[in-house]
Amino acid sequence: MTELTPTNRRFLAFDLNDTEREQAGLHGHTIEQLSDYLDRGRVPADPSIDDSPECEIALRGLERLRRAQQTLLDKDLKRESLRDDSWVASILDNITLEAHAGREIPLSHPSPTARLVVTEGAVRGVLREVGDRMQNLFVGRCVLVGDVSVPGTPISIMVDVTVFPGQNIPLLAEQLRHAMYVALHKYTELVVAAIDITVSDLQALPDSSAQEKEH
Amino acid sequence: MTTVLPSIEKLDALVRQVVGVDALYPAGSIVTAVLAATLGAVAHRAPIAPLVHIAHQADGLRVTAKIGIGAAESSADVSGRVHDAIAEHLRHSGNPTVVQIAVIVASVRPSD
Repeated sequence: MTELTPTNRRFLAFDLNDTEREQAGLHGHTIEQLSDYLDRGRVPADPSIDDSPECEIALRGLERLRRAQQTLLDKDLKRESLRDDSWVASILDNITLEAHAGREIPLSHPSPTARLVVTEGAVRGVLREVGDRMQNLFVGRCVLVGDVSVPGTPISIMVDVTVFPGQNIPLLAEQLRHAMYVALHKYTELVVAAIDITVSDLQALPDSSAQEKEH
Repeated sequence: MTTVLPSIEKLDALVRQVVGVDALYPAGSIVTAVLAATLGAVAHRAPIAPLVHIAHQADGLRVTAKIGIGAAESSADVSGRVHDAIAEHLRHSGNPTVVQIAVIVASVRPSD
């Protein structure tokens, strides 16, 4: 496959209302339908969702996002209603975009009959998972830059993250970079030249006392 | 031209048994697979269409398996084992020339 991921695409550099594109990436489903499916506890089972790796990756992303939201809620219930949660919408859109299979990344095998690959979507899913499992951090966007389909070609990873209060950002970025290198080494044979991490969103809690005074 | 061979159902079970394989997805047309799965669900029985796809082409067999793996092992190790298991099965089944065995790792399920 020759699909290349544009490096300059930001969170909102696509049509959020492009339902057809969303459905194409999620085997005919929208992220809202997958969210409803989670709400129903995946019952009754829907084979068109359960048999799709793209839907599976998106569902796991949704579950992690919900857990993150719940954690925030638990930490500061009083101020929750004052928080701007637009970051959630942008992350949802990125989960949708990045779940699709994308390019095929080759894996080596001595047999001439073997064609082993891991999909770009699976790798993005792993990287997103690695980040989301860290405390006070959530992965917004994850892009593999370069020709991942040619073995040995150096590529780079661009990651946008949202960071929540109370973190040493340089330390957090270094921990994330290390964890992503480990995961990439385990699940791919990519030659990773760099992992560029951008903290694109700082989710500071709003000053509720100031807002209360205004009222 | 594609032809579904009789031994293909056995490949589904074979691939599922490979250590590290966590899920097996339809490797053929998604439309066919979803239709088969839906019909199977309505009829309260296993899906009709096999998940591992075999194409019998002029130059020989092309087999494709699309899998999900657990997080414990590497993609290369698990997909390599799936390739080897399919190759061994086809060899013992007396199938004609195998041109390609493709194994696609489509998801990695993290350990909870």
